[in-house]
Amino acid sequence: MSLFGELFISELLNKPVLDPKGDELGRVSDFVVIKGEHLPKVSALILNKKDKLRLEWDDLSLFNKRVISSKIYASHIKPYESSEDDLLIVRDIFDKQIVDADGAKVVRVNDVKLEGKHYMAWLAAIDVGMSGILRRLGIEGRSESVYRLFGKTLSQNLIGWGYLQPLEPRLTKISLTVPRQMLSELHPADIADIINSISQKDGASFFNNLDIETAAEALAELQPEMQADIMNSMDTEKAADIIEEMPPDEAADVLSDLPKERADEILEHVEKEEAEDIQELLRHEEDTAGGLMTNDFISYPPDITIREATERFKTEAQEAENVYYLYIVDKEEKLQGVASLREVLIADNDSYLADIMETNLKTVVPGEDEMVVAEIISKYNLLALPVVDESGYMHGIITVDDIVDILLPPASKKKRRRV
Amino acid sequence: MKIRRNILFFLSVMGPGIITANIDNDASGITTYSVAGARFGYALLWTLLPTTVALVVIQETIARMGVVTGKGLSDLIRENFGVKAAFYMMLGLFVANFGNTVANLAGWAASMEILGFSKFVMVPVGALSIWILVTKGSYRLVEKILLFACLIYFGYVVSGFMAKPDWGPVLKSAVIPQMRWNSEYIMLSIAIIGTTITPWMQFYLQSSIAEKGIKKRQYKAMRLDVIIGCSITDIISFFIIVTCGALLFPHGIRVHEASEAALALKPLAGEYAYLIFALCLANASLLGAIIVPLATAYYVCEAMGWEAGVNKTFSEAPQFMWIYTMTIALASLVILIPGAPLVLLMVLSAVLNGLLLPFVLVFALLLVNNKKLMGEYANSKVYNYITWATVITIIGLTSFLVVTTFIPLKV
Repeated sequence: MSLFGELFISELLNKPVLDPKGDELGRVSDFVVIKGEHLPKVSALILNKKDKLRLEWDDLSLFNKRVISSKIYASHIKPYESSEDDLLIVRDIFDKQIVDADGAKVVRVNDVKLEGKHYMAWLAAIDVGMSGILRRLGIEGRSESVYRLFGKTLSQNLIGWGYLQPLEPRLTKISLTVPRQMLSELHPADIADIINSISQKDGASFFNNLDIETAAEALAELQPEMQADIMNSMDTEKAADIIEEMPPDEAADVLSDLPKERADEILEHVEKEEAEDIQELLRHEEDTAGGLMTNDFISYPPDITIREATERFKTEAQEAENVYYLYIVDKEEKLQGVASLREVLIADNDSYLADIMETNLKTVVPGEDEMVVAEIISKYNLLALPVVDESGYMHGIITVDDIVDILLPPASKKKRRRV
Repeated sequence: MKIRRNILFFLSVMGPGIITANIDNDASGITTYSVAGARFGYALLWTLLPTTVALVVIQETIARMGVVTGKGLSDLIRENFGVKAAFYMMLGLFVANFGNTVANLAGWAASMEILGFSKFVMVPVGALSIWILVTKGSYRLVEKILLFACLIYFGYVVSGFMAKPDWGPVLKSAVIPQMRWNSEYIMLSIAIIGTTITPWMQFYLQSSIAEKGIKKRQYKAMRLDVIIGCSITDIISFFIIVTCGALLFPHGIRVHEASEAALALKPLAGEYAYLIFALCLANASLLGAIIVPLATAYYVCEAMGWEAGVNKTFSEAPQFMWIYTMTIALASLVILIPGAPLVLLMVLSAVLNGLLLPFVLVFALLLVNNKKLMGEYANSKVYNYITWATVITIIGLTSFLVVTTFIPLKV
């Protein structure tokens, strides 16, 4: 059989297939693909006559844009037995949604490109561009001349099959995605956008395919309802792993939107120390300082040297969310003072934390209203504000990004909501 | 306690059905009801009951698909019937909705003119404000404005009571069908169905449900939302017909437009009824002019796989922003061109809507019967008979409307 180079599926559909006598076997209606060495391989053509017929790839003698012919006669061709397990290009891939990680968006498959070599044909790429749509509609040529009038060319927008990976093991219900490592490179807010733009079911399975770290970051960016959906549909172990990965205040936000039993069930699987932090945060009302704060902050006793503090900081800062302030607390965890990272870095290594700390502190009580918190943070240009109760015990800190979220809801929360 | 919990549960689901149905009463809907009331009094009131039933049956089917698949109607059409079906459907929808936008901006212009403002000022002002609202405003602001706008519709109920109709004949006409072999009567009764059940609504409803993420367990509450929404729409329609029927019909005042109805009410019912009618029309028109182009931009982009979203910029979602912008800009231009064939355009858009509707409904029915897609929520046999019968009746009636637009009926 002659080589055909590159071909688009839409150019082949409905083409007549002839037998050696020149009789029409039927018209091309779909392609069966099976797993190949690198790329999926075309194993058979499905033809439309009165019924569906199956013509094996090996029985073809010519296959190109102009002529498709077979070695076998019309009387020998077998009917096609429809099977859910087959992967068919037109039925299962055309028009489905896929994630384009490059542009961080969801697109649709407009066409599929085949590549032929060594008497075989591979599924090489999918077309997600405008030219794919026009080719499917059969008006590519005409549109191209219209575009040329305006001095533009039609953009080819192909994604190589090698970049694609099915979300669900069975390909019939695909939403395809890029390999996981590429997804983790996307910004969490972009991932949240993608999840928002596909159906709930696809969104949940998409999310399930993310690694724990990426999942935790993306989850924080989603709307509360979507967070709850995803947490509810996920198995408890994995949900707990993700919760563990999140900063305690974000984890508490997610859990507070779940039914009580489900939240408890997940918390039971979370590491003890982490779970206690979260549980403490869950006790506070959502729109108060206590509800906003995180208990993930860096604190040291006043009587250690700057050198020692710096050493400790280097290990602890990897875990902490906010590292701009070091809080100085006594043995009963009562707040004594605060030192900014800058002050620590420029201070003499042999002096004590107590020497450099600021003691004139701005603090709020756990029950304080969120708007008051916002005002204080804004007035004093703070990056974080400690939450301290009447007895001086330090509960946590509220960081400036949590305040920004109140004043300006994250973009992903507003996006794609229908008016 | 249980009742309270149920009410809270319903409130969390409520929205898509009610908002969709409300916006359905846009400028052309209000025109149809005003004309019907002024021309035939209460004689067409009975058509509202079967129309409501048909609307509920269809909206329920669409809403169920949104809940079960979590996808919009344009998504499902593209995925199950291919790009050709989706493309031509979207092209049709785009053109028909352009006509709808023209009709709504014309309603806005007319209501502003009778309130004493020049349309050459108010159309650009209106168009620019809705353009800025959607391209620059936040979702929350838009939603608040829409919900408030939906309340204004109740002005029609007030005007209905102010008209002091004789309620006996009104209620009798509402439940007892009467037929007149008069071409105008037949046209108007079909037009009432035509303006109530429109193609764009089906796309809009299913997407808002999918978007809101309503689950299967909330399905019953959602059905209630749909039923309430459809009922509210037709209650508003009822009061428009009653107002015009009580005040204009006895004097034999014929109107052709909703704004004419408002003007005609002035000497008969006084300043207030006239103001209510004019303001409600302005409100409904502007609301339609926001939603229809926006909805179009969403479905077209989703079906074609283009980026879409109110919060995106022109460079992020060019097709989406351009569809929305061009629809509003061109529609405003058409209104402002002196002597532009506005009536012809609106008739053509109604015809196109009528031509699209069978395709939309048949696609929807095929999809809802697809067990692979719908599982146990696919239509049951009995339900199928009812839905197919409703759909075939609607298709029959709208085709009749389309045909008689070209070949006027002589009875």
